[in-house]
Parts: sequence; C-alpha cells; structure tokens
Amino acid sequence: MEKNIILKIEDLKVNINDKEILKGLDLEIKEGEIHALMGTNGAGKSTLVKTLSGHYDCVVNDGKITYKNKDLLEMDVTQRANEGIFMSFQSPVEVSGVNNSYFLKTAMNAKRAYAGLPEMDAMEFLKLTKEETAKFSIDRKLLQRDLNDGFSGGEKKRNELIQLLMLKPDLIMLDEIDSGLDVDAIKTVANVINSMLDGKKSILMITHYDRLLELIKPDFVHILHDGKIVKTGDYTLALELDEKGYEAIGINDVNK
Amino acid sequence: MLINELNTKIPKKSEEEFLKINFDSLFSYDFKEVKTYELDIMGLKTIKDENSYESVLFNITKSLDDNQKVLTINKNIAEPIFLIHKIKEDETFFTNSLKIEVKENIKAQVVEVFVSESNNSCYGVNRNIVLEENASLEYVKIQDINASSSMIFSNCATQTKNSKLKITNFEFGEGFIINSFENIINEEFVDYELNGLIKLLNEANNATLVKTIHNEKNSISSINYKNSLKNSSKAVVKIKSIVNENALFSKAFQNCNTILLSDDATIFAQPHLEIYIDELEASHGTTTGSLNKEQLLYLQSRGISKDEAYDMLLEAFESSIKNNIEDEIIKEFIQNYKKEQYV
Repeated sequence: MEKNIILKIEDLKVNINDKEILKGLDLEIKEGEIHALMGTNGAGKSTLVKTLSGHYDCVVNDGKITYKNKDLLEMDVTQRANEGIFMSFQSPVEVSGVNNSYFLKTAMNAKRAYAGLPEMDAMEFLKLTKEETAKFSIDRKLLQRDLNDGFSGGEKKRNELIQLLMLKPDLIMLDEIDSGLDVDAIKTVANVINSMLDGKKSILMITHYDRLLELIKPDFVHILHDGKIVKTGDYTLALELDEKGYEAIGINDVNK
Repeated sequence: MLINELNTKIPKKSEEEFLKINFDSLFSYDFKEVKTYELDIMGLKTIKDENSYESVLFNITKSLDDNQKVLTINKNIAEPIFLIHKIKEDETFFTNSLKIEVKENIKAQVVEVFVSESNNSCYGVNRNIVLEENASLEYVKIQDINASSSMIFSNCATQTKNSKLKITNFEFGEGFIINSFENIINEEFVDYELNGLIKLLNEANNATLVKTIHNEKNSISSINYKNSLKNSSKAVVKIKSIVNENALFSKAFQNCNTILLSDDATIFAQPHLEIYIDELEASHGTTTGSLNKEQLLYLQSRGISKDEAYDMLLEAFESSIKNNIEDEIIKEFIQNYKKEQYV
C-alpha cells in the first residue's frame, strides 16, 4: 500500500541574517520513513530543521512546505509542535526557574488541548513518565530540576528523549543528537527512537557519525551541499561517505 | 495640606539622591485631610519618634504626626504577624509610624500588606526596625495601591551584633510610590538581606532608594532586586552601599535585574558601591533586557502557546525573589496573594 506523504518541501529558499543558506531545496518524506541528512559544515542542514520547526532566525524567501497536507509556513512554532513536529535541539537552552516536570506537563496538556483531549492530571502524568522512562532506564530525577538548568550535555540530550517519549510526535527531527554522547548514551538514543517507529512516525536526522546510522538504519541518506540536496541514496551512501569522504563523491569541503 | 508647604526638609528632585524621581504632582497636591492610620493590633505603646534618620523622606510623615506605635516581639511566635492596611477615604493623607523591636535571641516574622481603594490619597509610612543581639526578623511587605494613590514608605533598620534581618519587598501597585530602605551597620556579624520584586503595569511610577553603610567589621549586606515592567510603567532603583574604613572583612553585594516588557516601560537602575578598604568582598551587577527569545522559542517548540510561554518565563524571573522567602507560611501567602481578597 502506498504510504502517505507527511512532508513535502519544494524549491525552498531560506535566509539567515540576510545570507541565503537554502537555495532551492526539495525533499519528500513519507510516513514511517527514516531520512538522514549529511553534509559538510555550513551546508544548511541545521537551517533546514530550524526552518521546519519555525525558528525565528530563518526567513523563507521562496518555496513551499506541505506538512500533513497543510501549508506549514502558515503555522506558528506552537502550532507546528502541536501538529506533531519535534525538533531535538543541538544545544537545548537552559531555563532557570521553570521546573522541568511542570514544563513537560504543560506541553503535554497543550498538545492534548489542541487535539481536543481532556487535560492530564498530575497523577496520570507521573504514572506515564514513570512508565516511559523506566523502559529505557532514563533517570527521572531530571524532571525534578529546572528545565535544562545546569544539565550536562548528556543530561540535556536525555531530557530531549524524555520529551520525545512523552509528546510522541509524528515528525522527529534530530539535530546531531549524538554529538558529545558516549557509546552507551548513543545506544539509549537509538533504543528510544527505534521504539517509537510504528510505521507512521517519520525521522529526519542530522548526523556526522555513522555509529548512530548503524543503530537507526535510514531508508534514505541525503547529501546537502551549498543549500541543496545534491545526492540521495540508501544507507550504503553513508558508508561510502564514511569510507571515502565528501571529496570522493564530488563535494568540495570549503571548511578544509 | 500640601507636602510642599510642610515646615520640614523634604526631598528635592535636583538632589543627587532623588534624581529621576518626580515628586511634583504628589508634593503639590492639596490633600483635604490628614489622618493617622491606626493599626489593628490593640494595646501597642505609643512613643514620640525622636530618631534622626538618614533619609529626609521620614520627615514628611513625622512632621504630620510624630507619634510612633511600638510593636515589641519578646517571644518566639509560631506564625507570622500579618498587618493588613487598607485605606478607603479619598483625598486623604494617612500617616502611620511603627517601631518593630525584636528582643534578644528572638526569631520573628512580620508581613505588611498595603492596599487601597481610595482616590487621590496617600500613605505616609515610617518603619523603624530594631533588632537586639541574636535576634532574627523576616519582614515582608506588599504594596498594592491603586493608580490615583501614592505612598511614601521609609524604613530604617538598626541591628545589634549577630542579628539577622531579611526584608522582602513586593511592589505591585499602580500609583506613585517611593520607598526608602536604610541600614547603618554599626555592629559586628550583622546579616542584612533586602530582596525586592517590582512588578509594574500601566502608568505605575515606582522609586526605590536603598542605602546601606558598613561602619563595623564582619557584617554582610545583600541587596537584590528584580523588576518586570509592562506598558508605560517606570521604575527607579538606586542602591548605594558604603563600606567605611573600620568595616574590615565586610561583604556588600548588590544586584538588580530588569525585564522591560514593552517599548514604553522605563527603568533607571543605579548600583553604587563606595568602598574605603581593601579587605572585603563586594559585587554589583545590573542587567536590563527583554525575555530571552531563545527560551521562548524552546517552550513554544514543545507546543506551549506564546502567551503561556511568556507567562512561564516571567514567573521564573520573579520566582527567585518569592522562593527566597524562608518562612513557608509567608511563602504560601505570597504565592496565593491577590489584591481582590483585600479590597
């Protein structure tokens, strides 16, 4: 059976600080698909996921983004999140004074209200967090602290995973979630992501690290260069890249 | 009665201490009546206020009525003393002077709430806090008067050796308000902490003057203000700490953070440290800005509406002052405080 298209990007042109970063990008993601986005530094990978999540830095100059058959560019950040878009931040901001648990419960109830569901009370919330975090041995103590406040790099990433597990988004965008993590922590990330794959949820992940791709096998690997997708393949493209580097596939790394 | 015509020295806008504070409309207003606002506590001793204060602001209330009630706390009490003041009469200048004495080795908590539903009235409030040796007082004040009213609040603290004074001052009202907190530390091992939250909206006009002088060694003063200003509100916060030659090993800290929530809100924050010795710890810092847009984005990116995210971040900014209150009953009182309960 033909799968539904969850996200369709056509000829997307995006500026950051008056500089064109995305220069006519096309991408199509269907339900249940895992897409990996690779490319040299400055190619536009983070700009793409930031644009999709509605980041204020990104100014869309041209193109079209259709998400679940709706015009994504017409939605604000909150609406995109409640429609099921989740971006795991590369470096989540610290919010001192906002309790992590209160934040997550507020976010969950905002999503439930958007979907017309009744509010979840404190007991239900507690029970659910306990169940979800226990599956992956994630320390729930993070929830007692202020949001990302004083968290180590690894704790911040684990906190993003807790949010993922609780909010259950439909399009999960991971911006270098593996950066700075040790091998065990990467396994936890992979276990969480793989557990969420139900044939409906789609993943768009940015990574430089083939270890994560070994654990979360992508259906498609895209190489982004100078604001456009220049090559698309399957998992073997990531292996080729890992073995030979960008120059071997005809991409000049301006950072070198 | 016009304050301008009182036979006493009153603040002048041109004086360094009062720069940026415009007293004109209050001082030239003709109040129809002057009354002494009586406290709810019966049987308090009355004395003549013969103290001399650093701030001339004390003069206004004192020149209208130099009687001062005395609240003496000579035993530990399980619950805080709450003094709720509400004025209803229009066009009236209310004077209210109170000395709070906490005796040796006694620990006490006092909360005062000032609300009003009157028009064109003014509270003239003098407070003289005296702590004996090893005494401890947590004093919390909420000012929540309406837009057409004014308030002149003058507070002087005198602390004896090893005493601890912790003041938390909440400014919520919309009128013209001036606060003065002075503490001249003449004894060793004095601990003085003043925390303030100035949360203003509409046309509220609020000034806070803090003056702390360290004259004796080994004492601590810590002044910390958070200000969130909406609409066309205006705040002036001047914090002056002086550490004199004899005050070796003092600790004098100042901090003032402001969030401006509209283009028309104004803050004038002036931290001022005057230090005459090397052997001490001192710091001062002032920040002014708007809510952190990266934090706002993060909250929104998890489905929280912009308005709710905004409120959460503002509450987080303000909560550091509320959470710093030690007494749990007072903390709960502040969390649940709503002006409507009192007017």
